[in-house]
Amino acid sequence: MTSENTVSLISPQALMSIKNLELRARVVVEGFWHGLHRSPYHGFSVEFSEYRQYSPGDDPRYLDWRLYARTDRYYIRKFEDETNLRCHLLVDNSRSMTYGTLGYTKAQYANTLAATLAYFLYLQGDAVGLLTFDEQIRAFLPARHRPGHLRHLMLKLEEPPAGAATDLDAPLQHIVEIVKKRALMILISDLLAPTETLEKKLSALVACGHDVMLFHILDPSELTFGFGKALMFHDVETGKRLFIDPATARKDYLKKLNAHNATVRSTCQRLGIAYRRFGTERPLELALFDFLRERMQSGTLVKRRIA
Amino acid sequence: MSFLAPLFLFGALAVALPIIFHLVRRSSREHLPFSSLMFLRPTPPRMTRRNRLEHIFLLLLRCLVISLLALGFARPFFQKPMPSSPPSETGRKIILLVDTSASMRREGLWPSALAKAGEILGKTSAADQVAVLTFDRQAHSLVSFDQWASMEQGNRAALTAERLGDAKPTWWNTHLGNAIISASETFAEADKQAQNPSARQIVLITDLQEGSRLDGLQGYDWPRGIEVQIEPVQSKRPTNAGLQWVIDADDSMKTEADTSPRIRVSNSANAKREQYQLRWEGAAGAMPEDIYVPPGQSRIVQAPKLPAGITGERLVLTGDDDDFDNTAYIVQSRAEQINVVFLGDEEEKDPAQPLYYLKRAFQQTRRQNVQIKPHPTSAPLTAGELAGVRLLISAVRLPETQVSVLQTFLAGGGTVLFIMKNTASAETVGRLAGADALTAKDVVATNYAMFGQIEFEHPLFAPFADPRYNDFTKIHFWKYRRLDAGGLPNARVLARFDGGDAALVEVPGGKGRLLVLTSGWQPADSQLALSSKFVPLLYSMLELAGGIKARVAQIHIGDTVDLSGMTASTNTQPMTIHKPDGATVQLGEGETRFSQTDMPGIYTAGSDQQPVRFAVNLDAAESRTAPLPIDELEKLGVPLKRREVELARQIEQKRLLRNTELENQQKLWRWLTVAALVLLLMETWVAGWLTRRSTVPAEGTT
Repeated sequence: MTSENTVSLISPQALMSIKNLELRARVVVEGFWHGLHRSPYHGFSVEFSEYRQYSPGDDPRYLDWRLYARTDRYYIRKFEDETNLRCHLLVDNSRSMTYGTLGYTKAQYANTLAATLAYFLYLQGDAVGLLTFDEQIRAFLPARHRPGHLRHLMLKLEEPPAGAATDLDAPLQHIVEIVKKRALMILISDLLAPTETLEKKLSALVACGHDVMLFHILDPSELTFGFGKALMFHDVETGKRLFIDPATARKDYLKKLNAHNATVRSTCQRLGIAYRRFGTERPLELALFDFLRERMQSGTLVKRRIA
Repeated sequence: MSFLAPLFLFGALAVALPIIFHLVRRSSREHLPFSSLMFLRPTPPRMTRRNRLEHIFLLLLRCLVISLLALGFARPFFQKPMPSSPPSETGRKIILLVDTSASMRREGLWPSALAKAGEILGKTSAADQVAVLTFDRQAHSLVSFDQWASMEQGNRAALTAERLGDAKPTWWNTHLGNAIISASETFAEADKQAQNPSARQIVLITDLQEGSRLDGLQGYDWPRGIEVQIEPVQSKRPTNAGLQWVIDADDSMKTEADTSPRIRVSNSANAKREQYQLRWEGAAGAMPEDIYVPPGQSRIVQAPKLPAGITGERLVLTGDDDDFDNTAYIVQSRAEQINVVFLGDEEEKDPAQPLYYLKRAFQQTRRQNVQIKPHPTSAPLTAGELAGVRLLISAVRLPETQVSVLQTFLAGGGTVLFIMKNTASAETVGRLAGADALTAKDVVATNYAMFGQIEFEHPLFAPFADPRYNDFTKIHFWKYRRLDAGGLPNARVLARFDGGDAALVEVPGGKGRLLVLTSGWQPADSQLALSSKFVPLLYSMLELAGGIKARVAQIHIGDTVDLSGMTASTNTQPMTIHKPDGATVQLGEGETRFSQTDMPGIYTAGSDQQPVRFAVNLDAAESRTAPLPIDELEKLGVPLKRREVELARQIEQKRLLRNTELENQQKLWRWLTVAALVLLLMETWVAGWLTRRSTVPAEGTT
């Protein structure tokens, strides 16, 4: 992207020094979007959008009888939906997310990303919901667009992570059960969990008609495993301790990590899920760009898939 | 320095552990939290290079603690010289007791016994005194202590071994008890002269067979200071089967058909074979017979049948390991001809006369054939006719010539039964008994007379002494002759009538005896001939007269044979016995006992015209060659010397005990433990100090 190179971006370190999450989100979103986005969805609202010629199968409720009387042709009246988009942010708050080598943790980064997205969507007038989870569901806020909801959401995001393990299955299952209306699901996680059932749960989500985006967040040290000396490694989730010499273990680690990531990526590709993996050193604006790019592409992607 | 438990010193190898731990560069104090270890595998610990050993002083302390602990557990002590037992200056007294019984004839036993003896003799020192005894049924001195002492000092062992080499195993059975006791007594005799009895040792070289007799050892009061060392010689093939001729106690009623001798074949318990063969050796046409004897059992089998007219004397068992006991010598007894002379002129077929009953009293059996030879009073009786006759019966008055012959017969040991058929015969009785004017009177019993008083102690009536047979009241006497028994010199009344008159009188005459029955057994006088006591009484008389000899039982090696019963003649000329190997033994004048039965086989005794043959066999116990457990001897109180291994073990035990005592006194392990504890404290302090030193600056930097 050319904008990545030209636009001066706020470094995440600098951003994270802002204690307030909402402020952080606002900083990111500020000046980012001024009427770029229009909701592609049409819904039931007072604001008229357009006429469209009737074709069999359309709901006859929306037939404009006056126009029929005038023109002797059937037209469907279309209205702009009041809340164009229902978005659910699924944020992994497991203990593995508390790891970070850049002075802030993956959780902070993920929460800031979630807050940024939420703020961004809120400004657009979209309804934003939140689901935080570790090995079980921690907090759930349904997608709303009303004053104070964003604040509520920010508070939930600021709760410190407590869970021990990462379990994607339970929250995915849960969200499938709860959210009946089609929505945009944004999953933010480090995905440091076995991937056996991931595909099944994600496909359930997709099958429900939701659009799914997956932000795979990893610490740069996790991606490179650039430790110097042999140490006793301590798993923050399980508490397990292993003596590991990175010099010898690196190759194996990277191989396994890449295999894991490749599995996740291929799963997403198969399901038509937008997948983004990046390190926590990446500026959040870029993540936001990614999001928007995915949104613009998503229509074509889905169509291609259907075709 | 010595150790009570030196194996604990291996614990000192544990010093390798701290060294390894110090070499291992695993700073376990540093932890790095990481998001997930799911992609990581533990790295095996790596060693640092030697020159990077960390904390050398701490390492030294730790090594030292481990070494001290290992040393402490090994229970060290300082050895003190052991008070050695004073060397025996006086030398030992050794009796070498070498088994020469028949079982030593087994293959390889005797040479190995000689080798063992040679070895023991070779080990003797100049101060030792040695005697050599061989033993089988008895112990025989081969080399006495005095003979040993008189030998040239350097040559003693060689000379003794040479003498022992001349000895050969005999055919005798083994009496181990006797032998050991004889050896012990030999010591006792030798020590009578000695002032201070030295160490005494009996070295027993034997095959220690199960068949050895041990009686006599039980309860034997062992003198102090004797020890018995057993040097067993083992046969390569320890199993054996033996055979033994079984003689029936009474085979007189057997027919000629089932006269083939019966043989007991016994098999040793550890035998691997069960199938053997019995065959007659030297009997043409005799077929061998298979017999089956399971191990550890014995079977009595009939010897193989011989073709008619052929007699076998050697029965051989084949199929077992050792041959020395595989031949049984068998001499079947033949019916003995016993002549009884009846002096009188009676008709044999006249049932009113005693001769009629006498003739029918003696049945012919397999063992004897009693022949009654009637001799008329008118014909002169010669001494030749009486040769071999032991019993003479007469019932009438005899002419003078015959009386004198009878007197000689009596003096020579014969027995005369005189039946007083009438009072006239009293004169003859008087002459024979040496009482001249002897008269008798006929007595007719009013109702009937019977035996009222019988001397059951006398051999004649002894068979009737049992209450079941001593009822003589059924025998009724109608008539008898009253005889003045007091007039007969040395007369003994064996039975009296109920009236008190003598019924049966025994008068000794010379070597023989005169029996006078004052009544007759013919129906006119009494019912004696019809009674069940008649035949036994006559046999009893015949036995008393020496006509029936006692049955000769099985003769084993070493048994003394009484030949007087075997040879029929009463002549007193010296007897010659031919041994199986052809040697001849002349017995002394009047001697009838032969004791040199020292080899199995068939012996021939007596004159050439009437040879008496008897078989001498090996003792059946000698066939039991399985080794006797040494415990048996120990149980009988034999002071057995422990073998070298046991001795060494005993010494080792003693040494161990002493070491334990020394260690207990010194208790070095305590000091070592205290030192280890002190070092451990130091180590803790040093380690703590080092940790603090390494963590304080680390905290400072973060």
